[in-house]
Amino acid sequence: MPRLSSSRLRALRRRLRLKKRREKTLLEVYQTKLVESLRELRIPLLLLHFSLSVGTLGYMFLSGGNFIDSLYMTVITIGTIGFGEIAEGSETPQGRIFTTFLSLMGIGVFTTSVTVVIRVFLVGDVVNLIRYIRMLSQIEKLKDHAIVCGYNKTSAWLVEALRKRKIDFVVVDAREGALKYVQLHNIKYFVSEEPYKKTALLSAGIKRAKYLVANMEQEAENIAVIVTARLLEPDREKLYIYSTAPTDGSAQKLEELGANKVIVPDKLIANRIFSYMLHEAGGFVSDLFDRIAYGEEAELEIVEIKVSERSALAGKKLKDIDLRRVYGVTVIGIRRSDGSLELTVSGDTQIEEGDVLLLLGRPVNVKKAMNFYREVLT
Amino acid sequence: MRLKKIMTDFFLLMALTTNLSFLFGPNPYELVITVIANLTATILKLGEGKILATEMTAASLVADLHLIPAAFVYFLGNIPEAVSLAVGALAANIISVLLSIIEAIFGYLSEE
Repeated sequence: MPRLSSSRLRALRRRLRLKKRREKTLLEVYQTKLVESLRELRIPLLLLHFSLSVGTLGYMFLSGGNFIDSLYMTVITIGTIGFGEIAEGSETPQGRIFTTFLSLMGIGVFTTSVTVVIRVFLVGDVVNLIRYIRMLSQIEKLKDHAIVCGYNKTSAWLVEALRKRKIDFVVVDAREGALKYVQLHNIKYFVSEEPYKKTALLSAGIKRAKYLVANMEQEAENIAVIVTARLLEPDREKLYIYSTAPTDGSAQKLEELGANKVIVPDKLIANRIFSYMLHEAGGFVSDLFDRIAYGEEAELEIVEIKVSERSALAGKKLKDIDLRRVYGVTVIGIRRSDGSLELTVSGDTQIEEGDVLLLLGRPVNVKKAMNFYREVLT
Repeated sequence: MRLKKIMTDFFLLMALTTNLSFLFGPNPYELVITVIANLTATILKLGEGKILATEMTAASLVADLHLIPAAFVYFLGNIPEAVSLAVGALAANIISVLLSIIEAIFGYLSEE
């Protein structure tokens, strides 16, 4: 090989190294693993191939070049079928000496090779790898799905709710214990990697996902997940990140780091108990909005519409859009951009930029109104 | 030196040369040896996950799928058909050898 000048060689090596830097996706990693797992087949297949080759060539020399009979004779000999001395010349003393040695070598090789091949495909990781690769390929096709990082009791309730609403989700967790429950609960899509790894989130389809729930055991892990997710998808309107935190202070910190909403479980429970105290009659009012929001109240749905800068709704009065008459949905309140909640809305109430309209109505009507909003007014 | 690379390259070249010589003078033993060498090279390449290695495995498999039928066709008496199949195998074998050379060059460049 002609020698390259040292500077050109260095430049070429640098380019090679640069190409190596691209991080592989999990799908690529597992596809490589699958191909590499076939390495186990090399030695048994080589031994089997060697036996077949020696046998075939040997019988060919004995029979004067009859390939088909020679191959057949070899297979029935090392496969312990032994139909007889088919190949010409195999019935001669030389042929029998050859068959004796071929049997001694070939029968052991044949049985061992077949056992190894069956073990690799049926008992080994190959089948699991193929299943996992198929699942990762399916995840690549998901869109507007949810990613649930960390599988615990809260996540189990959450995925149940997602299932009810037919929202696809991917669970990301690397812990053995969690994976056991993932299988037990028939979770269709999961990534068994640490959720704060870029590759794990990319493989879970973060670029196409709509929601991410950071629900790890430790706060530090939640921080790592949120930061990694926001690095991959900085747009808060494109990927909604939700998490939990032990205190208000931690919740605020997580929201500053990139979460859209952080829930403090202890506070939530306390507020809920208090709301039952306020509505002693049976807690119907306390539960009503929850049931509507969770989709459990089949006849009613409540949704939020954010009035963006470019929205045609900005500057209009409620009576101008007349959602009640056209779609049968009611604007029950407006959350203004300063955070105040206006519940005494009328036809003359003006919609402003940054407002969030609260729409209440039958699910079908709400869906129609939302589609109209998305297609026409944004 | 890497023993595995020597072995694989040996069988790849062996498959190519016997394939070529079979085309110039069809001979049953040469055809069988070509099949054996080609299958050995394929098995040796099995399980290599790198890009060029997978290309080589694919090319090798293509050559196998030409040569194995060629062997049966030849011994069933249709020699012209066997020769034409061997020509197809030759193309795949040439690609295999070229890829092996490219792999060797890349290996040389990335070595410290």
